[in-house]
Amino acid sequence: MNLSDSSLALKRISASPEPVAPGIRQNPEIAKLVDISRCIGCKACEIACKEWNELKVEPTHNFGSFQSHVDLSPDTWLLMRFNEVEIGGDVKWLIKKDACHHCEEPGCLFACPAPGAIVQYENGIVDFNQENCIGCQYCVAGCPFDIPRFNAETRKVYKCNMCIDRVEAGLEPACVKTCPTNAISYGTKDDMLLLAEDKLEVLNNRGFQNAALYNPEGVGGTHMMYVVPYGDQLKEYDLPESPVAERGAISALGAIKTIGAFLFGAGILATALHYLAVGPDTPDENSHGEG
Amino acid sequence: MARNELQRHSYAHRVVHWTVGLSFLLLLLTGLAFSYPSLFWMTTILGGGAAARVIHPVAGIVFSVGLALMFNKWVREMFLGQLDWKWLGAIKAYASHDRAAVPPVGKYNAGQKLFFWVESILGAVLLLTGLPLWFPADFGADFLVLMRLLHYLSALGAGLFLIVHVYLSTVAYPGTLRAMLYGRVTAGWAKLHHPLWYKEKTEH
Repeated sequence: MNLSDSSLALKRISASPEPVAPGIRQNPEIAKLVDISRCIGCKACEIACKEWNELKVEPTHNFGSFQSHVDLSPDTWLLMRFNEVEIGGDVKWLIKKDACHHCEEPGCLFACPAPGAIVQYENGIVDFNQENCIGCQYCVAGCPFDIPRFNAETRKVYKCNMCIDRVEAGLEPACVKTCPTNAISYGTKDDMLLLAEDKLEVLNNRGFQNAALYNPEGVGGTHMMYVVPYGDQLKEYDLPESPVAERGAISALGAIKTIGAFLFGAGILATALHYLAVGPDTPDENSHGEG
Repeated sequence: MARNELQRHSYAHRVVHWTVGLSFLLLLLTGLAFSYPSLFWMTTILGGGAAARVIHPVAGIVFSVGLALMFNKWVREMFLGQLDWKWLGAIKAYASHDRAAVPPVGKYNAGQKLFFWVESILGAVLLLTGLPLWFPADFGADFLVLMRLLHYLSALGAGLFLIVHVYLSTVAYPGTLRAMLYGRVTAGWAKLHHPLWYKEKTEH
């Protein structure tokens, strides 16, 4: 299947009505599947991400971990987190590919007040358009995975866009392309779900009884999914156990604002009607004893 | 001062009033643009959404400082007394300009006093809820939505009272606006709207 088909068709636009363009063609949803059990910790994906997206190199320092950077930043959209955890008397590396999960229900997009600053393509990619971003950082708070990062100089927010420019051209994202162990797979979401089943079976046979697919329902599923060998240790992977996209409260706020707009209009109308009914109360400058 | 004119608001009072008033208008303009995507175009006037996002909290600080000064300058005159409750009982007569049925009031009537208290409280809520919205990155989504709701509701309340305030002080009661612009009112205006204050001012 040609995954570049209509990948730039829009599904949702921040602070704008939806659906944007209900077409008759069904566009495939795409997804990345990260098999943590195959990751050898080489961090080539981090480099590929920096290179393809032309992100500034940030000096690193040893802070007692195999990890390259302490945290994501406006110039670091992908960070392999290495959490050392003791399981069954052994120290294990619970690795997390920290980057945008491309939620089906994106909390960042729902929170965004700037029209067109965040868009979701029909293929599932959630992308920030910096030219429309006003720098309010509501998306940072709205993201259940703590991914977007604010650049105080440009006053814009940045994150992984799943190499939308590559995907649109029918190529896989840079991190997928570069991974030497095929720990990151890429394809339609349906294919990735099937692949995950196979991978889980293999892991189960290898003795990882708690191996699990991480594709949380609270955000409608994600377009970057994980296969984690220790599915009972999500917390140790830094993966939220039940992330939720805040949408109901935002919708309620929208409804209240609609009522507010009517009240505001009614207020202006009421003063106009009052003026027409009784007119101005003008003082009589030359009379005495008035009032 | 011209004959038959009374001094009502000092220069300092007027500066403070317009600091609060103009900064609030700027806040309302940018806030409406952030609240309603259909009004987002209004940010263009200020140089676009990103510029409006920078201006809004700064204007909020100017507003808050102005409001604090305003509170300090006016609060002593704003406590409601027995006369005020009588005046509120006759608010229908006041609204229909039935002059004879409105109990005489001093420098401020109960409506003005209530306006002062409502705007002061809403202004404080706007400041307190606005601070986390200014630096939202470290707050949770739920908390932020709650702050957005409270910020919006207090702005709506303040905006509704502002409509009444502007209406009454301009077209409804001619001669009022000049009190806040030049500080002076005519004797006729004082006798009509604030007869007890007129008496107090002219007896000395």
